[in-house]
Amino acid sequence: MNRDELAKYLLDKFPDTLELLETGKAEPFFLLKKPDGLVEFCRAIRDDVELRMDYLCQMCGVDTGENFEVVYSVASVKKRYRFDFKFPLPYNKAEIDSVQTVWAGANWFERETWELYGINVRNHGNLTRFLLPDNWDQGFPMRKDWDAPDFKRLPEV
Amino acid sequence: MADLRTEEFVVNMGPHHPSTHGVCRFVLTMDGEVIVKAEPVIGYLHRALEKICENRTYAQCIPVLDRFEYCTSMSCNQVFALATEKLAGIEVPERAEYLRVIMLELNRIASHLIWLGTTSLDLGALTPFLYAFREREDILDLFEMTCGQRLTYNYIRVGGVAKDIPAEFIPKAKKFLSTFDHKVDDYERVLTENPIFIARNQNIGVMSQELAIAYGVSGPNLRATGIKFDLRRDDPYSIYDRFKFDIPTGQNGDCYDRYRVRMQEMRESAKIVRQAIEQLPEGEISAKFNPLVFKAPAGELYSRIENSRGEMGVYIQSRDKEKKPLRVKLRGSSYNHLQAMPHVLVGHKIADVVAVMASLDIIMPDVDR
Repeated sequence: MNRDELAKYLLDKFPDTLELLETGKAEPFFLLKKPDGLVEFCRAIRDDVELRMDYLCQMCGVDTGENFEVVYSVASVKKRYRFDFKFPLPYNKAEIDSVQTVWAGANWFERETWELYGINVRNHGNLTRFLLPDNWDQGFPMRKDWDAPDFKRLPEV
Repeated sequence: MADLRTEEFVVNMGPHHPSTHGVCRFVLTMDGEVIVKAEPVIGYLHRALEKICENRTYAQCIPVLDRFEYCTSMSCNQVFALATEKLAGIEVPERAEYLRVIMLELNRIASHLIWLGTTSLDLGALTPFLYAFREREDILDLFEMTCGQRLTYNYIRVGGVAKDIPAEFIPKAKKFLSTFDHKVDDYERVLTENPIFIARNQNIGVMSQELAIAYGVSGPNLRATGIKFDLRRDDPYSIYDRFKFDIPTGQNGDCYDRYRVRMQEMRESAKIVRQAIEQLPEGEISAKFNPLVFKAPAGELYSRIENSRGEMGVYIQSRDKEKKPLRVKLRGSSYNHLQAMPHVLVGHKIADVVAVMASLDIIMPDVDR
């Protein structure tokens, strides 16, 4: 399957779950319409015999200034496919489910997202300080409204 | 003897342990001499590169990302340049692509030579370290005459490369490549059949294929488990589909297989550089790209390349008519390797931590970013 066939296959397979985004510039980029079904969706694409998305390239949070987004980049080692999907999260209800049961390597990515964005991860099991110092108490540094205390923003040219 | 009290105890290894290649701490729970549980503690090198990139223009990100994984700075430049080019639809001239491949593969050899030197040093063999750094010096000389830098090159830019190679580059590179395979033979003569080296490496740190894939292990570590997967062939970027090269694999996924795979990879990289020099066309070295006014269109993508340690990727999200990226996520392969490492350590002795960490080729700037 090439890029377009892969996108079509996924849209046919999960018509109520996925929506193809125009903003994706390389591999197919989907919007996950039902964040509650995240774990089931991940398990479905991993176990699908045509797809076998067994490899989580990366997972990260994004602060767009209006809400959070969570992005997953998945790949298949066996079938050589790759695509991404994401879903928005409101600031006041920033909570996702852990996908460690599907891809064990999600553990640290989720821990980092929790620590740097303050996005809570349900069923994670080890949400403790990680990249930041153990006694960190200055909030979530990757949020857009956070600047380091000694940071001076230069005027735009 | 019956009422002798035994209990597990905790050993703190690092952060300033010379074999941890950066600053990584291991909290090891030991039962006598055997590791029961290992927990890596990271963050000592966290420089917030992702946050820094959000406050810089696309062109300004490239020198920052040199520091992301400083053993292969060329790859860091390449992965970001590639992502930005895909985002904005910039066509890279032919000659620039070839120069990139030459530099990337030379950099891969240099990085593997650091790995070879430090690994053998960690295992108590001093000689290969001196050999490896002698050859690495030749590569660094080539880089220095091209871009003036020996560690953080800032050479591959968005749209092409910074400078053309000087006239002396090709003869010097050819001279280096003509002897390099014999040099690899020399390293192998010291180590490959050395009984001490084999005893320290064979059946140590065995990684199964399932564990490797589940934890996102990539590069030589994945190939050592027997999976023939290389992004240069399986998700081709740049012009890698024009070169002929083999993808070495192992069988057992132990430290010794990882060693064999990396040694073979150096020969394969040299093969690619030879072909690239042979085919190198004349022409422009950069597309039209003005870093001062460049604005990316709205979009997002995750782009990945094969660097010497495995999959290096960058996720960029951009807003329309903005000079700066909204989000840059860096994905280093050592992050996943270190995450998988506790699972291969269980049941080993404490001295094997050093061997496993060295053979996985973990470096900490890649993990902490």
